[in-house]
Amino acid sequence: MPANYKDILSHLSTEVDQETLLLYLQGKLSEEKKHEVEKHLLQDDFEDEAVEGLQEFRDKEQLQYMVEMLNRDLKKKTEKKKKRREKMRYKDQPWLYISLLILVLLIALSYIVIHRMLKG
Amino acid sequence: MKADQFNHITDHELLERFYADHDNEWLGILLQRYTLLLLGVSMKYLRNEEEAKDSVQQIFLKVIQELQKYKVEYFKSWLYMVAKNHCLMRIREKQGKITTEINDRISIKPEEESDRQALLQTDHTLDLMETALNELNPEQQQCVTLFYLQKKSYQEVSGETGYSMLQVKSYIQNGKRNLKILIEKKLQEETNRK
Repeated sequence: MPANYKDILSHLSTEVDQETLLLYLQGKLSEEKKHEVEKHLLQDDFEDEAVEGLQEFRDKEQLQYMVEMLNRDLKKKTEKKKKRREKMRYKDQPWLYISLLILVLLIALSYIVIHRMLKG
Repeated sequence: MKADQFNHITDHELLERFYADHDNEWLGILLQRYTLLLLGVSMKYLRNEEEAKDSVQQIFLKVIQELQKYKVEYFKSWLYMVAKNHCLMRIREKQGKITTEINDRISIKPEEESDRQALLQTDHTLDLMETALNELNPEQQQCVTLFYLQKKSYQEVSGETGYSMLQVKSYIQNGKRNLKILIEKKLQEETNRK
């Protein structure tokens, strides 16, 4: 028995991975494994609060899908930035200059036309 | 880059790599490890599935921005703080009320307490535990015994005692905290006597 007493005082615990946590939430773990996860949660406020929140989701089977979607979005945010910045520099700007030039020419042209019409 | 192939790299190492080359991809790999937890914490505070998902995305952005500015030592504890602050702010925006924000403690240390830990785990403290356990109130004593000593899950403890899962959890949490306080008190009394 005294060996188990140590668990009450311990802060040192092995991490619980997301997969195990999902199985726990979906009620797919054995009682023994459940105990292990719960013991860990008692030592980690972050994970404990997270599990409390995750239990509020109506469909626990959807959680994995949601996480995958969020991760995909995160990947886009962290990966594409460089490429997008380069595109801005080399592609978008020439168009901007061309459009501005056309606009200036149009204004000048209309000015001349109106001016001549008024004179005429 | 596939996240799985970086499983062996610690959070700290990933952060170091980011600080070395400022490539956000390292942060992507690091943050993916916490998506589920962030979703859970957001849901706990915001109580709405869609809002929780939005909140995770905003926390991601915030983390990416903040890490460009500061050097963070203990990533997990820091992330937890950022997530909670973000949720509190959203609640505040919704209610228009002022809630206190947790201090920005970038160097916040996780609960390691190595000295106290060593002290608390000697055979002598474990002897004291037995007496301390008897001093807990009956509910806490029963739940702590079933959970820690008989290694039962919350559900099993709940089934045996008739308490709800939430009650079981709170009895265990409070029981555990009280046990620590009782043991520390006893140790203190002993040193005073000497």
